[in-house]
Amino acid sequence: MIRLVALRLALMLPILFGVSIVAFTLMRALPGDFAQASAGTTAISAEALETIRRNLGLDRPVWQQYLGWLAHALTGDLGTSFVTRRPVAGELLPRLAVTGELTLIAGLMAMIMGTATGLASARLRGATDWMVRGLNSLLLAVPNFVIATLIVLLAGLYFPQLAIFNYVAFVADPAGNITGLLLPALSLALTVSVTISENTRAAVLEVASQDYVMVARAKGLRRRTILVHYLVRNALTPVVTVTGLQLAALLGGSILIETIFTVPGMGQYLFDSVANRDYPAIQAIVLLSATIVLLVNVLVDITYARIDARVSYE
Amino acid sequence: MNKAPRTRGQVLVALGLVMLALLIAIVLFGPVIAPYSPSKTSPGSLAGPTAAHWLGTDSIGRDVLSRLIIGGRTTLVITSAAVAIALTVGLILGLICGYVGGWVDLAVMRVLDIIFAFPVFLLAIAVVAALGPTLRNLIITIAIVYTPTLARVVRAPVLSVKRWDHVEAARSIGVGEVAIALRHVLPLVISPVLVQTSLTLANTIFTVTALSFLGLGPPPPDPNWGSMLAEARQFMELAPLTVIGPATAIVFASLTFIVLANGLREVLDVTASR
Repeated sequence: MIRLVALRLALMLPILFGVSIVAFTLMRALPGDFAQASAGTTAISAEALETIRRNLGLDRPVWQQYLGWLAHALTGDLGTSFVTRRPVAGELLPRLAVTGELTLIAGLMAMIMGTATGLASARLRGATDWMVRGLNSLLLAVPNFVIATLIVLLAGLYFPQLAIFNYVAFVADPAGNITGLLLPALSLALTVSVTISENTRAAVLEVASQDYVMVARAKGLRRRTILVHYLVRNALTPVVTVTGLQLAALLGGSILIETIFTVPGMGQYLFDSVANRDYPAIQAIVLLSATIVLLVNVLVDITYARIDARVSYE
Repeated sequence: MNKAPRTRGQVLVALGLVMLALLIAIVLFGPVIAPYSPSKTSPGSLAGPTAAHWLGTDSIGRDVLSRLIIGGRTTLVITSAAVAIALTVGLILGLICGYVGGWVDLAVMRVLDIIFAFPVFLLAIAVVAALGPTLRNLIITIAIVYTPTLARVVRAPVLSVKRWDHVEAARSIGVGEVAIALRHVLPLVISPVLVQTSLTLANTIFTVTALSFLGLGPPPPDPNWGSMLAEARQFMELAPLTVIGPATAIVFASLTFIVLANGLREVLDVTASR
């Protein structure tokens, strides 16, 4: 097990290295001068520009700049925001926590909706199966920001008393915080639940045709016991994997959803940073989210191997 | 025994093709079909549906239907251009990686792994933000983001097809390697590629409209479905049609390619992953 974890993490390192190069070049590729961009919109003299350039180390060779930046990033220094002039890491962390909470709620919702519909679809067959699959194909075609916009529209038309844009911090009002995140989470969860639902259905159908389920049925175990102990348990393996792999979709989707529902998370921070051309912030978000996705992928692989003894990565 | 799913697949493909024909008609004949110019304003703003304006007007009195048609043109042209580039590059990379193998394969696939590590939409935002939101940059960005998926889908079957007997036979009678790859391997891996291309088109519609929704789409005054949806949000309770129009259009377009992908998957018997 320890070997597996070490191996997976070791395999992750070169990719992470590449990710950091992409994040670095992305910022250097922007049109115009980086020093000029960091000065913002204010007019600035040539000497002042030269000072900024020296302070940022832009007079050094590119590879030195990269290594310097990487060393700082590794110690948690993600640069200084062009807009607020404060460390990006300090601004990013609280927003990451908000996005993390939103993603978690959305992930749970998607898992519950997905496994429930997938299970119903596989066990009840017939009309239920037909309906669930039809609805799933339709839902797959509705982007999450369209769902969110329609939710806001419906809420505005039919439930005007519902306050949907008032995000409150968790420490201020835990219950209000969670209920405030329910609608944004729902818009995120619907699309993801489709993937989970389809996978649950396929997994249950496959497990149901296995010999050991037939044996269980033959020796007269109750339907309920078979369902809970044989079907659900074994079908859950691919579901866990899929849910984990959907994290990238959830993180990407939260950018849009947070902007629509004005939730002060990482997505909204990215959106604001793009609008303000706050490049260090954009860079930090890109680097951080890719790292999170990579780590979760490793975690999913390990969980997978842990649940299912047949899986090996030798 | 395979009869039932195969006919179902054919129905789906036929349905998808009809929907696709409608989309293509919008792209080709958009300016002719559209009743008004997309930027022409008329006196009544945020008006409901009338005989003159079937889907009403937006907040500054422009005809919603005309803007949907012209905006659809922009959205679909970006989508197809980006996917065409991603498909071409993906085919070349996937074929080279799978067929040549060795360190070339290793190197290229690791680079693609790096792109894979980013959430698609986040990478697209960052790249467009860095390059600047012009039509050309938008197409390049989306092509970059979706190339790895297509390259992988091409590469996987090539790995096994290149070991088949007919390839060995072709080689033994002196057919060149490039000719073998193009004529004896590529045609056999095309089915999963078709399915994945269709899915990628659906995903691209999503990415293009989402970027435009955030204001990173093609610059105004050209309308597109994403920016229309964003503009309409402000007054949507007064004129729900301004939101429902572009929302339906986006869903219709992505549904077209999802239906087509599902149909193709059954007809071509592809057990493709996403």
